[in-house]
Amino acid sequence: MIQVKKLSKVFHDKKRGEIIAVNNIGFHCEKGQIFGLLGPNGAGKTTTLRILATMMTPTSGEAFVNGYNVEKEAHKVRQSIGFLSGETGLYDRFTPRETILFFGKINGMSRREIEKRMAEIFQILGIKDFQDVRVDKLSTGMKQKLSIARAIIHNPPVLIFDEPTVGLDVITARVVIEYIRGFKKQGKCIIFSTHQMHEAEKLCDDIAIIHLGRILSMGTLEELRKKILVADLEEIFFKLIEKESHI
Amino acid sequence: MNWNNIRLIYCKEISGAIRDRRTLISMIIIPLIFYPLLFLGIGYFTMAGQQKSDTVASVVAVKGGEYAPGLIEILKQNEKIQMISLTEDLSEGLESGEFYLLMEIPENFNVNINEESTQSITIQYDSTAQYSQTARRRITDLLEEFKQQIVQTRLEKLGLSLDYIQPLDTQWLDISSDERKAGAILGMLLPYIIVILIFIGAMHSAIDITAGEKERGTMATLLVSQLSRLEIVIGKYFTVMTISATSMLLGLLGLSIAFLTPAYVLGELSLIKIHFSFYTFILFFLILAPLVGLASAILLLIGIFARSNKEASTYVTPIYMIAIFLGMISLSQGMELAEPMFFIPILNNSFTFRELLMGIIDWEHILPTLLSNVTIAIIALLIAAYLFTRENVLFRS
Repeated sequence: MIQVKKLSKVFHDKKRGEIIAVNNIGFHCEKGQIFGLLGPNGAGKTTTLRILATMMTPTSGEAFVNGYNVEKEAHKVRQSIGFLSGETGLYDRFTPRETILFFGKINGMSRREIEKRMAEIFQILGIKDFQDVRVDKLSTGMKQKLSIARAIIHNPPVLIFDEPTVGLDVITARVVIEYIRGFKKQGKCIIFSTHQMHEAEKLCDDIAIIHLGRILSMGTLEELRKKILVADLEEIFFKLIEKESHI
Repeated sequence: MNWNNIRLIYCKEISGAIRDRRTLISMIIIPLIFYPLLFLGIGYFTMAGQQKSDTVASVVAVKGGEYAPGLIEILKQNEKIQMISLTEDLSEGLESGEFYLLMEIPENFNVNINEESTQSITIQYDSTAQYSQTARRRITDLLEEFKQQIVQTRLEKLGLSLDYIQPLDTQWLDISSDERKAGAILGMLLPYIIVILIFIGAMHSAIDITAGEKERGTMATLLVSQLSRLEIVIGKYFTVMTISATSMLLGLLGLSIAFLTPAYVLGELSLIKIHFSFYTFILFFLILAPLVGLASAILLLIGIFARSNKEASTYVTPIYMIAIFLGMISLSQGMELAEPMFFIPILNNSFTFRELLMGIIDWEHILPTLLSNVTIAIIALLIAAYLFTRENVLFRS
């Protein structure tokens, strides 16, 4: 469902010159799988996800989402994805109902389709109680639930989550993690970025450890353990980064 | 490009704007209430000040009044002059406002007059005080009357009549109607007000729905939706245009209401009654529409380019100042614009508005105005749309 081949992204900065944000990376993620991009801040996670979500174009390499090329068939890609980031990206002056109606419509759904799916999602996510309260009056947890609803309203087969738990308290973060797990059961293909080891450990089928734009190692948690010979993901992570720094 | 998608963005932005107190203030409260009140206030205070200084008698201090009994008699007879006699020099009374004029009559005043020579007379006044100015005007008239009397006496001695030194009696008749005069005043003011209304109304929302969306992180959610970038830009552009036009129309409505108030409040402004023909009315809005389009495109362009609300506000300020400056040029009375100058946006609007308000329809001025404003608006919008596809602009950090 997601295929990334030799993908690179270079930014040009007047002061700093060329910055290679993503450096020749490749991975794939299938239906019903969660792929985790694990790395510190500035590793290139957000840039990679923005390319997959068609917000940015790659400098070189290719990426396919649901069989569509992110550069050449951006519109088709956008039909296939739900995108969620740490910034909730909600309009303060709208209610959850209005928000979902708007995002349903701009994703090409009919009013009837939206109403039906909205009722289901609001029920599952527990949004019903505050569906007519303006977003600026909601708690962070409520907002993040609504953001999830917004990302999945058009029932996309692929979900792209860019650090969805950043800035959330433990309870809300846990709720978000549970939902992501639920989406996996529904057969969605999920790509998920985080800098929190335990989240990646709990959720991901495959993990790519990314640092300074490069994938240092990739595989299931088991495979990574075998490769690096430490049990803990945090240890794996630091060993890899340490090794990278020596080079 | 799908018009239904543009409509979705437009409706979302408009309903967001209506719920935003700041937009409501700049779009409705300022044009509909604040500006008319400002106008009424200025009209009222000018009028009140004028009326007061017209009704109050001018206190005139005279030193040496006994040397000119004839002149003093004229002053005494006038009920708008309240005379006080001074025996010593007390010019500080003029500064303190105790009296408004100080007239010093020299000892040999009557001697010189009777000897048919010129007698000088010194009058002190304060040009910064309204009362002193009024007193000066009144005394000038009375001195003129006194002068006429002396001239008449001198001429009679020579067996001549006053006509002898007045071979020509010129009558100046102003054929312009009150409406036309008022139109000229309004023609100076209105373009300036319109420019302010168009910019002020749209400024906040144009920045809020572009740079503001970037700042709040909501822009990304639009970018990953099935809307095309062009649809988003056009939807937002129509929003800014609507808000700008609403602000301007409400401003004009507010001013119209202000002009309906009784004359004693408005003074000279109450004369302003514009009789537009339907044709002129249509032309007026035909010229206004591209100006709204131009202002909206420029504001949108700035908002899209800027990283944050704050940065956008910084960029908008000089643009607003230039707009105000170009609008202000119309305030200079009697200034004529050379034909090529009608290609300069805002400036051209000011002058074509002024002409229309005075009933002049000059296509050699209207066409360049329309052409240049529409062209620049389209260019600005195209740049805005182009910037909206640039990831280094959308994700600047």
